[in-house]
Amino acid sequence: MPHVRLAAAFLFALVPAAASAAQPLRTVIDRELKSAWEREKITPAPRSSDSAFLRRVYLDLAGTVPTLEETNAFLADTDSKKREKLIDKLLAGPRFAIAQSQIWDLAFFGRVPQNYESVQKRPAFQAWLAKQFADNVPYDKWIKELMLAEQPGSETFWVQYRGQPEEMAVAVSKLFLGTQLQCARCHDHPFEKWTQKDFFGLAGFFVRLVVQESGSGPTRMFTIGEKSSGDVLFAGSVKDQKPGRRGDPVKPRFLGSKTDLDEPPTPKDFKEPKSEGKLPKPVFSRKAKFAEWIASKDNPYLAKAAANRVWAQFMGRGLIHPIDDIRTDSVASHPELFKALTDGLVEHKFDLKWLMREIANSESYQLAMHGPSKDALPKWFEQARVRPLSMEELVASLRIVTQFDRPGDKPPELGWEYFRIYFGDPVNGLGDFQGSLSEHLFWNNSEHIRRFITRKKGNLLEEMVTSKEPVEKKVEKLFLTIHHRPPMPTEAKFVTEYLSGREKPETLFEEVIWALVNTSEFRFNH
Amino acid sequence: MVSHLSRRAFLKGAMVTGSGLIVPNWGALSQARAALEDVKKSKKRCILLFMNGGASQIDTFDMKPGRPTGGPFRPIQSKVTGLQVCEYLPKMAQIADKYAVIRSMKTASPDHPDGIYHMHTCYKQSERTPHPELGAVIAKFNGDPNSDLPSFVRMGPCGNAGAGYLGPAHEPFSVDRNGRLPYFTSPYANPEAEARRAELFRQMEAEFTSGHASEPFDSHRTAKERAWKLLRAKGAFDLTKEPEKLKALYGDNEFAKGCLMARRLVEVGIPFVEVGQDNYDSHADNFVCHKANMQILDVAWSALLSDLTDRGLLDSTLVIWMGEVGRTPQINNRAGRDHFINAWTIVLAGGGIKGGQVYGSTDVDGKFVKDNPVNEGDLFATIYHALGINPRAKHYSGIRPVWLTPEGSKPVKELIA
Repeated sequence: MPHVRLAAAFLFALVPAAASAAQPLRTVIDRELKSAWEREKITPAPRSSDSAFLRRVYLDLAGTVPTLEETNAFLADTDSKKREKLIDKLLAGPRFAIAQSQIWDLAFFGRVPQNYESVQKRPAFQAWLAKQFADNVPYDKWIKELMLAEQPGSETFWVQYRGQPEEMAVAVSKLFLGTQLQCARCHDHPFEKWTQKDFFGLAGFFVRLVVQESGSGPTRMFTIGEKSSGDVLFAGSVKDQKPGRRGDPVKPRFLGSKTDLDEPPTPKDFKEPKSEGKLPKPVFSRKAKFAEWIASKDNPYLAKAAANRVWAQFMGRGLIHPIDDIRTDSVASHPELFKALTDGLVEHKFDLKWLMREIANSESYQLAMHGPSKDALPKWFEQARVRPLSMEELVASLRIVTQFDRPGDKPPELGWEYFRIYFGDPVNGLGDFQGSLSEHLFWNNSEHIRRFITRKKGNLLEEMVTSKEPVEKKVEKLFLTIHHRPPMPTEAKFVTEYLSGREKPETLFEEVIWALVNTSEFRFNH
Repeated sequence: MVSHLSRRAFLKGAMVTGSGLIVPNWGALSQARAALEDVKKSKKRCILLFMNGGASQIDTFDMKPGRPTGGPFRPIQSKVTGLQVCEYLPKMAQIADKYAVIRSMKTASPDHPDGIYHMHTCYKQSERTPHPELGAVIAKFNGDPNSDLPSFVRMGPCGNAGAGYLGPAHEPFSVDRNGRLPYFTSPYANPEAEARRAELFRQMEAEFTSGHASEPFDSHRTAKERAWKLLRAKGAFDLTKEPEKLKALYGDNEFAKGCLMARRLVEVGIPFVEVGQDNYDSHADNFVCHKANMQILDVAWSALLSDLTDRGLLDSTLVIWMGEVGRTPQINNRAGRDHFINAWTIVLAGGGIKGGQVYGSTDVDGKFVKDNPVNEGDLFATIYHALGINPRAKHYSGIRPVWLTPEGSKPVKELIA
């Protein structure tokens, strides 16, 4: 039997290579996932309901759940192409760039970045990032600009690693090359070909970067300068290092290259110019060389890492997982698909929007999440993944469903620091979600959550209390607003009963809204 | 796995209302023999008395009388041969058979944030892997996930690393030493309203998850239930339930209240409690600071050890006394002592530790370790071993495997009972 299965898999594998150019990527995705389900004898979940799809695609493309009007319009639409139409609308919409910039900003900085005091607030960087998505700048182009750090705002990425070329090498290799080079910082990589020389060779491109600072308070500004001299020093394995030994200079080397960077020697007796403010342009710019390389055809890692990252953003896990550990000998869970994603991204000139559109339009993305597996990130993508809403998504969604904002309102002070503490990083070292006691004390007892729900002019609770509609209609509206679906008969029954309690309607409606936003159905993207 | 406070024992100290809601009666529970027996049989617990700023070894447990580094305090003989302690620790001197003094700590992080991190995680802060504090480790391994109470509680100035890669389920729960709970533990809803909406939440959650099973949903629901259980178990933090006579034994100050609270909490099965004592960072007026601190410390610490002994809990409760650094043998020109990591002292008592001994020694002036140096990893390996936790248990931070103690760390055999 195993032989037969192998043969079948082999045949499946042969067909796509020839066909991939003609077929849209979404078709390749579905075909490749299906062939793996057949091989693994897995029954995939059925197609998602319109409500489930609607909520998922809004969160993934707009960073928030839909409004009641948007929900009603979509559920009522009878066009068989309505899902595709919605995807196009969201990709062209104003929230798309903001949502994507939040996702990538989090990947670049985490919740508590290094050099916290300088980069904790970074509106200019976030605006720069959002502009790349709004203008759909090709990914390779904006990564190159990020490395050059010359466009206003983009410099913040380097500022977090001020004076730490090794940290820069770790970040760049993980984020943009999809490799875990940091192992090779202290010792040669245990399971990969990378040696400490590769690591320090990469760090060599960044060792001359200087974070320049001017102004203070609101006029505080950073720029990235570059010196003309200076090398990374390498002193061998950390275990064998002796105090007092500084190590030998290491020349820069592109990752995977067999030779050092070809650069003119620094002139003898060269002295860095003494300048109070910004450094002049360097005699030879290693930074420019690196920026050119990272976006060039000579760099095989950029497309793979980006394709895998975007896939995981929508589908839960990478085809190579985790996404920042692509090794030379890594085999993707769906090798042909991985190749199709990577090649497609290159053919489409690193158009991330194209990639997102294809993934979101696949039947695979649009599966329901219910199935036999309790795994949040099913390996074979046989049902939709489950991930917690980010703090940004959570707050944006709470504002939408409770109808918190009114036109002309001043931006409210929401207490972001609390949201960062309780919702900022809800996972353990393996990335698994963990509910925490303090998160729920906050949900249950804080005014920060309650303020969204409690009665306010024009909000959901006020509408529930003042509207003359029958209670059944109100219950239906509550579910459609918060869960984007009508209630099940059992739900309608127990919520209606609840609302007939002895307490004031305002109290009871507030409790119902509170319960609806506290459920897993609201807390997660599923 | 032994639940450290079983449902059955719990119910003995609880009243069940008509609607089936359990209203714990903690006053009764703390007297309930069955519950206490349960706690004793369970996994070991740990109390960390953290001397924030770094206590001076020469002015406490490694005295150098007559030497230029010795300072003005006089030594007194303890109950244990070979162990003299400071004259301001008279009560601790009388119960020296209960603890082991390690005089040979040789550590690597000389300052406050890095030392506090290092002495709570046994790893260097500069490494960037988010290591968990020992409190989070002990909470994970020796705590009961179904308990009504948090498993990692701290009071006063304590650790700075949190749960790290172990995740939010093991984050510390900080309480005030008067028993005041942190922000967001007091509901704005009255008890009936809270119970009512809780029931509604359960109905909704059950409805959704019956068709949609996923591990994150389970974790969400369990954490939510813990938040409600905590509200019902708040009485555990109420010090007014303790007899006046006992309170007087610990002393009337913040640190003493923390120690009494710690005993109260380990008694109901909380596996880790940290109590910080402030004002040890005596770069100036070292002797004034230390005299004042010790007069509080001696009373509260000895009361804690005696109280645990009286309740039969000391054998299963490890009590650690340490700071993030020691203090220089040299006395500076402001009558202060500065940070010192080459030769300093930590004291371990109870659970799994062989008391009544001195381990390691320093030279005549206390400037270096003469024999048996102990580093952070060895100390933590000893602590984990004593508590029944494998010091080399492996976890992951991203793809990187990490161990509870660094490679090469070994428990100090001589200290283990």
